Amino acid sequence: MNAFTHRLLPYDGADRFLDGALPFLRDGIAAGDRVVAVCGTGQEMLLRDALGPADAEVEFREPRTWYTHPARTPADCLSAADDAAAGGRRLRILGEPAWTNRPPPEIVEWQRIEAVANVAFRETGAALMCPYSASLPAGVVAAARKTHPETVRGGHAVPNPGFVDPWSYCAQCDREPLPAPPPDADTLKLDKADLYWLRAYVSDYARRAALPEDSVQRLLVAVTEVVTNAMRHGEPPIVLRMWPEPDAAGGALVCEVADEGRWPPGAGYGLLPPRPAGTAPGSRFGLWAVRLLCATVQIRTGDAGTVVRLRMAFPAGTGPLRGNGA
Amino acid sequence: METPWFAKRPVSEVRPGDHGWLAYSGPEERDRVIGPFVREGLQTNEKVVYVTDAPADRLPGLGPRGGVDLDACGRSGQLRVISRRDACLNRRGEFEPAMLVDTIGREVDAAFGEGYRAVRITTDHTWLVDRPGTPDLTRVLGCEDRVGDTVSPSTMAMAICQIDRRACPPGELAAIRAAHEVLVEVNPEFDDGVLKIIRTFDPDGLRLVGELDAARHAVFAESLARVSAARRRVHLDLSRLGFIDLGGLHLLARHAIGLPADQPLVLDDLAPDVENVIEMVGWHRLPGLVRGSRTSPDTEGTHR
Repeated sequence: MNAFTHRLLPYDGADRFLDGALPFLRDGIAAGDRVVAVCGTGQEMLLRDALGPADAEVEFREPRTWYTHPARTPADCLSAADDAAAGGRRLRILGEPAWTNRPPPEIVEWQRIEAVANVAFRETGAALMCPYSASLPAGVVAAARKTHPETVRGGHAVPNPGFVDPWSYCAQCDREPLPAPPPDADTLKLDKADLYWLRAYVSDYARRAALPEDSVQRLLVAVTEVVTNAMRHGEPPIVLRMWPEPDAAGGALVCEVADEGRWPPGAGYGLLPPRPAGTAPGSRFGLWAVRLLCATVQIRTGDAGTVVRLRMAFPAGTGPLRGNGA
Repeated sequence: METPWFAKRPVSEVRPGDHGWLAYSGPEERDRVIGPFVREGLQTNEKVVYVTDAPADRLPGLGPRGGVDLDACGRSGQLRVISRRDACLNRRGEFEPAMLVDTIGREVDAAFGEGYRAVRITTDHTWLVDRPGTPDLTRVLGCEDRVGDTVSPSTMAMAICQIDRRACPPGELAAIRAAHEVLVEVNPEFDDGVLKIIRTFDPDGLRLVGELDAARHAVFAESLARVSAARRRVHLDLSRLGFIDLGGLHLLARHAIGLPADQPLVLDDLAPDVENVIEMVGWHRLPGLVRGSRTSPDTEGTHR
């Protein structure tokens, strides 16, 4: 099997983009890989021109439809990589995530995905190349230097001196404190073992905030999982807080579960899909599935206890209703 | 299409005035409905009238360990096992609906004087539809209507008409069922007010009603293991499951992995909310689980 590669392609113009991307795609075509290019229309035209008739061997995809969700997209890619490997092929993706118009917590999640990909795809032999435009915010490019083991210069790759161990990188992300919940957040202390009433309470709140019905159900599943974990492994008191969080992109309903416990090292944060595919999901299934169900999940655990903050996004242009009688 | 006025009732909740219907799919289902129907009547000072040619000790679901002395009940008249000939056959040996109605009326009237607080009546009509070329359907229907007229206004009588659904063409089954107001089914295996688990027999499986979460995983796992113990394809009717947590999905997938490859766990009639969650997690990430039929909720006996 081919060795897994995950390379950063920084570029500041069409030439440097093509210098890195073209050999990557051509190598894949020559080797019979499944070759996917996730890029905007401009880059697609550049690549098609340069590839000529060989462009038929490349699946071009829109970033907006590919990078839909920071847990679902990597999970789907991982399945695709497994499928390709099972068929004796390699999955090769040239992909630049859509970085603009994302709320800050989601950007952090995508950056974390770049780091975790080094672990998740290690056994698949996939080849990933991530173009990063110099026009992106400086922080985004800087983070990419920590999450990619290699950088492409022209036709070859060099080790990236700034690369950070994926789990250390995640730990760094999690050292950033969460903003405090707003003072008027709805607060409920959970002291009953039966979560039936909790769900009635949460769904009532979410419906009054006008969260779409399918999202309400996902939130109920996610909250039930997090509270079940807290009751099983955490320390009372367990406190639930909810508040609306409007923002430019549409906003979110935030639901936070806090307890006094501290997660042991190596507890896993649900960042990796259960492996291997095709078997019953393992014990880490829960938190990983919570990530699939929510827009973003933030976890902080330490001496001050543990907080899991779930964010359910509103469709663009709607946003949460205020005045929940909280 | 489905006629909506039926009430579906577990056998222990059948009450006076109910003209009930049980289309069973096999002896286990019949035992688990008729057994409690007869036993609970005998244990609570009610009279039981059973029209059958079987001897009393061979009645469905009433083994020697049923906790009821059938002989004593027979001697005292609390249990009346009446042969078909005596109950509803005329001199030529033909089915005579009027006779059956008279028999029932007579037994109910007598029970008043005998001091019983209620009368439970049951009989199996399979023999009427089971004979090829015998156009007995209209007679059966007429009979059912008259039994219904006798039982439904009564504050004392309750009846369950049994039929083996395997012996009856679907059209006739639906027609006879329509002559009853109450569909009788097995008692729930579990019911704590939040989750109800009911054994189903056509297809084999369980119906979940309510919400499944960690507080109920253990009891659900037990029911699932029991119904899967025989080698057969298990269906879960989830039309009225409003919530399942991730642990519940995990439990389903783990169970399915242990089943033979040709016997997946079939999830029927998923409520949209639950289906949405499974879609989001991905069916392919829950190996062994298969999406089954999609029929409207409360449609009884239509999926095969």
